[in-house]
Amino acid sequence: MSGLYGSLTVALSALRVEQGAMEAAANNVANVNTHGFSRLRPVIVPGEPVVVGSLSFGTGVVLERMQSLRDPILELRLHEETQQQGYTNAIVDGMRQVEVMFSSTGSDLGSSITKFFNSLNQLSTDPGSTPLRQSVLTAAGNLTDAFRNGSKNLDTLKSNLDLDVQQTVDQVNVLTAQIAKLNAQIADLENVHEDASAFIDQQTQLIRNLSGLIDVSVVQTEQGLSLTTSGGTALVTSNRNFVLDSQLGVDGVHHVVASGADITTELSAGKLAGLIAVRDQKIPGLDADLDQLAVGLSTSLNAAHHAGFDVNGTPGGDFFVPPASSGAGAASTMAVAITDPDLLAASSDGSSGSNGNVIKLAAVHDQAIVSGQTPIDFFSHMTFQVGSDIANGQSELEASGIVLRQLEDQRASISGVSLDEEAANLVLYQRAYQAAARVITTVNEMLDTVMNLGR
Amino acid sequence: MRINPNPTPDLLAALARVQQDEQSAMLELTTGRRVNKPSDDPTASAVLVQNQDQSEQTAQYLKSLTNLRGQLQTADATLNSMVVALQRAITLGVEGATGTLSNANRASLADELSGIQDQLLSLANLSFQGQFLFAGTATRTRPFIADDASPSGVRYDGNSGVNAVEVGDGFLLPINKPGSQLFAAAGKNVFQATHDLIQAMQTGAGIDAAAAQVRQTLDYLSGQRVFFGNTVNQMDAQQTFLNSQKLELSQQETSLAGSDMASAVSRMVNAQNARDASLAAMGRATQTTLFDYLK
Repeated sequence: MSGLYGSLTVALSALRVEQGAMEAAANNVANVNTHGFSRLRPVIVPGEPVVVGSLSFGTGVVLERMQSLRDPILELRLHEETQQQGYTNAIVDGMRQVEVMFSSTGSDLGSSITKFFNSLNQLSTDPGSTPLRQSVLTAAGNLTDAFRNGSKNLDTLKSNLDLDVQQTVDQVNVLTAQIAKLNAQIADLENVHEDASAFIDQQTQLIRNLSGLIDVSVVQTEQGLSLTTSGGTALVTSNRNFVLDSQLGVDGVHHVVASGADITTELSAGKLAGLIAVRDQKIPGLDADLDQLAVGLSTSLNAAHHAGFDVNGTPGGDFFVPPASSGAGAASTMAVAITDPDLLAASSDGSSGSNGNVIKLAAVHDQAIVSGQTPIDFFSHMTFQVGSDIANGQSELEASGIVLRQLEDQRASISGVSLDEEAANLVLYQRAYQAAARVITTVNEMLDTVMNLGR
Repeated sequence: MRINPNPTPDLLAALARVQQDEQSAMLELTTGRRVNKPSDDPTASAVLVQNQDQSEQTAQYLKSLTNLRGQLQTADATLNSMVVALQRAITLGVEGATGTLSNANRASLADELSGIQDQLLSLANLSFQGQFLFAGTATRTRPFIADDASPSGVRYDGNSGVNAVEVGDGFLLPINKPGSQLFAAAGKNVFQATHDLIQAMQTGAGIDAAAAQVRQTLDYLSGQRVFFGNTVNQMDAQQTFLNSQKLELSQQETSLAGSDMASAVSRMVNAQNARDASLAAMGRATQTTLFDYLK
């Protein structure tokens, strides 16, 4: 394969390869702003030499393949960090809505407790006064309203979160279906040794999105990527995706079900797990706290009320409707049992002017009636819990935001398109192309010389 | 080493952060509060819940003290009037005991004395805002009733109950004394003493002894009156204490939740500078590439 024609072929191969390289550069420049795109690098190798006798002739150049530059390990770390961020984000968002209940507004639970006990103190200065008795009943009504509203708000929030859980499950299913489809497309291309990098970029991006929602583990297999949750539930295998289902459980909220198995509590990261954590742990915890506080107040105030006498000298009945013995739902059903101000048992000796029992009722303010705490201390502790849940989540979010940015930087330093680099490459490819073309011109001239030898 | 060729996302993230800082500093400056919601400072928020409860409670104690003041001052003034009336009765007794008086003169003294007794009865039945002050806790019952069946001519229908009002944490201030203790104590019964003096005046026998008895009840009543004066003094002292507590609580609130203006202003200025710098950096970054130089 020597001679002028050989040189022509070699130059031709160079023209082809430089054109191909130019295509890669063009594609990189075109995708300079495409999110998740990994830049392409032409892999150029010398053609296999031909040995003639003792001589070895080169056969030009071959564009072996386009290499897509990415670091799979880095992508995995990005997936993981995204999962953590999705989780914390969902918790912070959810708790932010709870927090409103604990912001001092004058009608919040803490203020209502204070105002109720203050109305008792006011009554103690003039225990026979009907307007003051009425104002105690009004303050008690506001107190029960605050409990019922608090419990109702938590319920509303819980059902909103439940809806969000269902929608998130749907989103997960859409994404896993797309990822499975891409698995098939990638396999098709790779089976015929074609470049699938565009599909791989897309798939990586979809897995990133999925990571925001659920805890995904990625395993590379012969049939493409396999996705499972960290608990081992299969999400995608080869070209199949396994649909998650949200089913209404006996506890009134939707459970995440994968092929018949309830995996609600197995999820550990991603938005879904965050939503479930707020819905199934934080809110029920606060609900239980509210119930406990409602039971503590109702029971202690009732006990104190029974010890006194009303305006007519009759022993006091229930001040508040007694809560169920289990305490469940105590906050949502809390109600004042008396409507007639005369029935308020202010007296400790049966005479209408005695305030002895008002003092006993007011003393509940300073008694450890809820898990060893006074009502205000208990509420103060609840406020702290909610506030610190959010504050901790926020600082976690901030930290993971920084880590994510650093990982993204790292990823871009490997996969990102640099226009400077592409410009330099273009010059290189163009020059090489021009040189190869020049070789062809020269060979042509030489052939011309050969043709005209006989004249 | 290859570096990230596209710094825009980093710059945007940095910009978002300084904008957040700027907003929070701005919110602090406009509200004057550093803690606007529990997550701003969970520990301070928890203390604030207690602080708010305490300061509202303190305000209520002060309100109760104001309400009670009138009642106690009225009671004190009433007892004072009774002391004056009893002094007059003693003067009359001394006058009646001189022995130079005619029966008719003594009878007119006796008339004046029964006028005093009526006055004492009406004072002992004094009501304040519809409540009898000296009926113990039976404040709707007229405590002293003229009753001939009673040796003193007056019967006590009230009870011996005492009310106390909380005017500080765990500070229960007794606010009344039952009429039975003030005016009808055994051996110091105001009505018995005046009743006996009237009878002595009418008969002309034992006037000295009866007047001495009135003097004893007068001394006793003066002693009892000290209670009301003391209570008013205690209320004054408590009021001063509560006011200083209120001030302390509001100072605590400010130090917990209030804005540190100087620091908020400097944070805002810092954030603004940082934002300007970020924007300037973004404006300059990624403007030129090698493409600009290839002709």
